[in-house]
Amino acid sequence: MNTFLQLLQDFGLAAVPAVGFAMIFNVPKPALKYCAIAGAIGHALRFSLYKIGPLPIEWATLIAASVISLIGIYWAQKWRAHPKVFTVAAMIPMIPGVYAFTALLALVEMERNGFTPELLKTAFDNGLKAVFIVTALAIGLALPGMLFYRRRPVV
Amino acid sequence: MSTDYQPWVKDDQREITRLCVQVGVMMLQHSAESALVESVARRLGLALGMDSVEIALMANGITVTTIRDGRCHTTVRRNIDRGINMHVVTEVQRIMLLTEEKKLEMAEVARRLDEIKPLRYPRWLVSVMVGLSCAAFARLGLLAHGAQADLGTFVITFVASAVAMQVRQWLAHLHFNPLLNFATAAFVATSIAAQGVIHHWVDNPRVAMSACVLLFVPGFPLINAVSDMVKGYINTGISRGVMALLLLLACCCGIVFAMTVWNAWTWL
Repeated sequence: MNTFLQLLQDFGLAAVPAVGFAMIFNVPKPALKYCAIAGAIGHALRFSLYKIGPLPIEWATLIAASVISLIGIYWAQKWRAHPKVFTVAAMIPMIPGVYAFTALLALVEMERNGFTPELLKTAFDNGLKAVFIVTALAIGLALPGMLFYRRRPVV
Repeated sequence: MSTDYQPWVKDDQREITRLCVQVGVMMLQHSAESALVESVARRLGLALGMDSVEIALMANGITVTTIRDGRCHTTVRRNIDRGINMHVVTEVQRIMLLTEEKKLEMAEVARRLDEIKPLRYPRWLVSVMVGLSCAAFARLGLLAHGAQADLGTFVITFVASAVAMQVRQWLAHLHFNPLLNFATAAFVATSIAAQGVIHHWVDNPRVAMSACVLLFVPGFPLINAVSDMVKGYINTGISRGVMALLLLLACCCGIVFAMTVWNAWTWL
């Protein structure tokens, strides 16, 4: 498939989970559209950085999360709410859910059927990926605050 | 030493301390990150005329001390988790901002805080949206593997996750333990997706089985845990992280149980 079409599809698909999970988090209704836009931009940016571009997924995640955080700070000041109201829901499409579940299922499987090096490899590979991506997301979100708002509040 | 009666706090300090702790507990209960809880409670106290406000956060409690003219008043509240609610967090923060701008008095702050009613979206709507979300995750997963669009996977994932979300909300409404709730709902989701695998309705069984349980990934607690720890609140960060991990493990138990019952081992 055409790379641009793929990117566009990624952009559109990522907006859906951002809104769906924003509703689980009970984000106020007027803020839902910001969650959708931020979620789509973040996921498409990460997609272009690590699928099309040369970066590993963790670094792509870090950059995407900090870009979203900057946008979130701008909206937060306009809207008088904490940036996390918009940005955490936007991070949801990038959360490494499949990695986390695969790692834990490999552990449970080892408990059921005994230890094998392959299962341990699966558990470690996926678990480390999950931990590093979540850390990249959280640090990316905190980064603009730590760089530009060191001793004063964002809102 | 004088034996005269001396009040240890002056006039309205007690009320202001109570307002600060109420604000802190409300934000903590609805899953605001620790740095935000502390800054909002402190700024409210300072805006209402305290010299300083000190806050200590624990995993399931909060301590607030206000100081004015060298007199301290301390109070502790227990924190009971009420689930993530960004609406409450936003409203509380706006009240604090208005107080800082001198637009609200103490009595008005108390009244407005009591008036906040947590926003809840209709349950069916949340279920439908979450079903669509997981279906979008399935599509994204297929896209990442370079596979073709597959209607069966999309529909099965949508049904499985929407039903599971409905079960999850229903069990939460009945005040079941979250771990029990997640395990049960993950069992339901995997069981429905397993039907699609058994009857060959889906071309990509692994994607369908993995996407339909993505609604159980505790993304908010995970991000909050890391950002708490980055900002120096190791204590609350660890407790949130451990809770998120336990929720994930509970889901795994549900998934494994369902795969054993239906004998559909498509993960791994």
